[in-house]
Parts: sequence; structure tokens; C-alpha cells
Amino acid sequence: MSTTTNPRDDTVKRLYRTRWFMPAFALLIGAVMLAAFWIGGNLGQGLGALGVMAAVAALFYFGARRSETLAGIGGPTRDERWEQIDIHATALAGLVVILTIIGAFLVEVAQGHDGSPYSALGAVGGLAYVLAVVFLRSRS
Amino acid sequence: MNNRVKELRNERGLSQQQLGEAMDVSRQTINSIEKERYTPSLPLAIALARYFGTYVEEIFHVDDDQPAR
Repeated sequence: MSTTTNPRDDTVKRLYRTRWFMPAFALLIGAVMLAAFWIGGNLGQGLGALGVMAAVAALFYFGARRSETLAGIGGPTRDERWEQIDIHATALAGLVVILTIIGAFLVEVAQGHDGSPYSALGAVGGLAYVLAVVFLRSRS
Repeated sequence: MNNRVKELRNERGLSQQQLGEAMDVSRQTINSIEKERYTPSLPLAIALARYFGTYVEEIFHVDDDQPAR
């Protein structure tokens, strides 16, 4: 019995919950990193990055059988409880990043610098938050 | 929020895994609901009530001295 009502949501949910989704996503990120390093003339580092992401993919593929955490992040047991965990974890991680950016900005300014690049990063974070609030409010 | 999910599940001789599969959620989510660490969404609460052939308010109870969250 599905607890979602939107067919699109069900399709997305099915995609997330396949065992290969997170491994494939990790490999895709690895391939993009390889391409970026290659373009920058650092093929060796690119292969290293791909190797790391391949290890992450393997961890998710094989580890999801034993670990609820990996299975929840990686997909197979992802359900509404995991979606809530994901939302809260993302919010907490975002808070940590924003606080870090503000702290780094203050240190830079206190040292007589102009605060870059932290001022720009903080502006992006603040703007993204406001836009997200406006968008989500319009849908609720 | 209190609930009778474990009681109703045991009455029917179901494991958490079986109930989770019927509700399309993980065994751990059923466990979290039973231990009242996780409050299910309204669709899942309704699905549970239908599955057990009863009403949501027969399964889930908000303590009278506790404001609903």
C-alpha cells in the first residue's frame, strides 16, 4: 500500500529506492570530477577522485545490505521517516556551513581583508534561503 | 503521541517486517512508530488504520495534557 498520492512522487520514490541509484550517482559525480581534473590538466588527480567515488559507490551498494543508515541514504529502505531524517540532516548541515561561512567572513574582515570569498558565499546562502522560503510558501 | 500499532500488529501475528512491507515502509520505521520515536505522516496513519480495519483516532492518541504537535 503506497502512502503517496502523486504518481510522479511514486516514480521518483521508486527511482530513489533502487539499490543502484546512489552507487550510480556516486560514479556519475566521480566521472564529472575526472572530466574537470582532466580539463585542468590533472588527469592523475582526476583518476584519484574517480577512485574515491567508486569506493563510495561500492560502500553504498554492498553496505546497504547491512546498514540501515547506508540503505536509508542510499535508497532501498528510504521511506517517509528517512525523508524527514534527510530534511533535518540537510538543514543541520546547512546551518553548520552558514555558521562556518559567517565565522570565516568575520575572521577575514578582522584581519583587514574584504571578506571574500565568504561574503559571496554567505550572500548565495541567504538568497537561496529566501527564494526557497518564497517558493515553498507558494506551494503550501 | 501514544499509539496501539504494536498491540494491533501482535493481535494479527504480524512481524514488523511484514507490516512494513504492507505499508511500503521499512521495518525500522514500524519499530520507530511503535516506540513512539516517530510520528507517521497522515497518509501513513490512514493507511495503517485502513489496514487494521479501524480509524486513525483508534490507533493514535494525543495525551490530553500534551498539546498536539
